Amino acid sequence: MKQALLSALLLAVTMVAQAGAPPVTVSDARIRWLPGDLPMAGYFSITSHASGPTKLVGAASPDFGHVMLHRSVHEGGMARMVHVDGVDLAPGQTVTFVPGSYHLMLMQRKKDLQPGEEVPVTLRFGDGETLEVPFRVEGAQGE
Amino acid sequence: MTRARAGAGRAVGACLGTLLLAGLLVACGHSAPPWGLRDITGLMPPLDFTLTEASDGATVHGKDFQGHVVLLYFGYTHCPDVCPTTLSRIACAVAALGPQAEQVRVLFVTVDPARDTLAQLKTYAAAFGPQIVGLRGSQDEIKALTKRYRVSYGYGKPDAHGDYEVSHSSAVYVFDREGEVRLLADSTAEAAVITGDLKRLLAE
Repeated sequence: MKQALLSALLLAVTMVAQAGAPPVTVSDARIRWLPGDLPMAGYFSITSHASGPTKLVGAASPDFGHVMLHRSVHEGGMARMVHVDGVDLAPGQTVTFVPGSYHLMLMQRKKDLQPGEEVPVTLRFGDGETLEVPFRVEGAQGE
Repeated sequence: MTRARAGAGRAVGACLGTLLLAGLLVACGHSAPPWGLRDITGLMPPLDFTLTEASDGATVHGKDFQGHVVLLYFGYTHCPDVCPTTLSRIACAVAALGPQAEQVRVLFVTVDPARDTLAQLKTYAAAFGPQIVGLRGSQDEIKALTKRYRVSYGYGKPDAHGDYEVSHSSAVYVFDREGEVRLLADSTAEAAVITGDLKRLLAE
């Protein structure tokens, strides 16, 4: 446990210091597991440390054929998902991808995944910079 | 450091919070407090449908669930965000009932029977807990049920891979042991509030 915490901390530091990566920090990156080949949702929190505007424009993962930025919308008692072209981040701003709102839609699983495993996801930004973030697969239950 | 710890304990923590808060709500209750969820008693018809149960392929009817407090929710398995969020919240709310959870059934009716096979619906429902019952029907059977509870659903345009989005009702309908409609939970209903109301319905 102690080692896991330490590596998580080191990872967080690495994410900021990574050469060519945008000045952002990502935390709480996780995927809600679903059975079979069903699409799953990825959640995280992202904070910009840039001096100017930054934009998250996409994501990809070697473990999935297709990853999209999505947002769930509740209108008039109906729920639906909409595709999002990008998420703007002002300097210092934090945007949270949480259940019922922004999420990554991870489709076409390329291998069997189980809760407890980690999945590498590359976040892509408007200026072409990328950041690889490990997402932890968590169980279907839980908020 | 705190971040990593919060991640590891999230699933347990979410349900634990429900238990504690539900206890408080009960402890502070008056003799006849208002329901936490929206009271829709008498505003809609009793539970009635003919559908196929995903776990064993059997034909089931609304009356087969009499004796249980029933929660009814419409969704689809290719729904990675809203449906799992709603189902896990309900599962937490039901689990917080303890042994009484056995007297509750959560009916998850797919509005996407074209993609949702019985096998797929079965594993999806099972992922959220033993009280979740996956139900599938023909378009006619699903339309009859959604019309009965005045909800709608629709399909988006398929993409290059043939995948499409489905819009569906956010509402969860709650029926008493006699199959009469009683409460409506919207997408903002908290697990502890649902637990509190389920306890009252079970005590009737």
